[in-house]
Amino acid sequence: MGEMVLYYIPLGATAALAAAAALAASIGYLRTRNLRFDSLARAATETLLAFLAASIVSGCFVTHAASGKWWTWDARLTAALVCWLLFATCPMLRQAVEEPSRRAAFAAVWSVFACLDVPLVVATAAWWKPGKALAIEWTWPRFWLLAAMAVVAGPLTVARARRAETRREPDSLRRTPHAM
Amino acid sequence: MGFFRQAGVIAAKDLRAELRTKEAINSSLAFALVILLMFSFAFDPLADTTREIAGGLLWIVFAFAGTLILNRSFARELPNDCLDGLIAAPVSGAALFLGKACASFLLVLGVQLVSLPVFGIFYDVPWTRQFPELLLVLVLGTWGLTVVGTISSALTVNIRLRELMLPMLTYPILFPALLGAMQLTATLVAGNAIGPDEFGWLKMMVGFDAIYTAVSLALVETILVG
Repeated sequence: MGEMVLYYIPLGATAALAAAAALAASIGYLRTRNLRFDSLARAATETLLAFLAASIVSGCFVTHAASGKWWTWDARLTAALVCWLLFATCPMLRQAVEEPSRRAAFAAVWSVFACLDVPLVVATAAWWKPGKALAIEWTWPRFWLLAAMAVVAGPLTVARARRAETRREPDSLRRTPHAM
Repeated sequence: MGFFRQAGVIAAKDLRAELRTKEAINSSLAFALVILLMFSFAFDPLADTTREIAGGLLWIVFAFAGTLILNRSFARELPNDCLDGLIAAPVSGAALFLGKACASFLLVLGVQLVSLPVFGIFYDVPWTRQFPELLLVLVLGTWGLTVVGTISSALTVNIRLRELMLPMLTYPILFPALLGAMQLTATLVAGNAIGPDEFGWLKMMVGFDAIYTAVSLALVETILVG
């Protein structure tokens, strides 16, 4: 499990890139009302959740190796968990809203809210547990891992976005008779 | 009619409706008292360690009881299609939001000011020693809670599982504000003043309130109209 120490930083960084993509896509939707941006925001949020969860789990392995405990209320891991919970509400919100354009608008607004909270969460967690945080050191293997993960995460997000796009068509056909 | 006048009219309407029916404030108060009582089963209420975590306990009570009031904020307008009437009225979404947030803020603050002496008596906490500072923390924390809660109330008013979704949406976003409020309240209810170390928390809470008030005012029209 020693190699876990390599993973949590690039996994977290990939999640941060996905969060930036989700924010950009959400702002894009709010400005243009183009549902393609919504599909992208949805896919980026899902990628973010997967990579952040993996980062938290690998961080737990690192803490366990160092202290024998799986969870020590480390500032960075706690902040990551709060961020995961923040973004996990977006898919839940999507599920609860039926009408596509309303669903897209609500999810975009909530993504903006969640992204604004991320720096505050990270800063307050660090104040809360000063001096108790997993180290973030960028070494070459970690850079390579980040590049490899980005190569996986990018196409994964695009594929998820395309799937959401293709699903919208039968969904709109299904809704048309109801609208009439 | 100016923006603030419109918000004032909405706030007065909400307060009047709530004070006549007392549906949210009664349940919120009863809920706060029940949680305060239940905490005493979980640990010794008069132990010194309980006083150290008093700030956290209080804000858990406030956050739980607050969502009961916030849930009603927009849901109150559902019968007789009042929400559609309000959206169609010549009032901006931002004024509607601000009015509703102000009314909820006063109601939640009222519940807090009733719960606080009860908490002081049950847990033997000297909460009156730093009361002006404590009131400032209550005001800042409650404004953060009501702004995020009111925008969540607007989001969840027409969706499935409304009562469940509001706390699910609100609590993670409130993490920085609640953490700051808990740290400061713990210091203040112990009878100590806010030191230079804790001043940063106060500034963070002001920042949180300012950011979320501004973004909510900017985006509420999107939520209400689509």
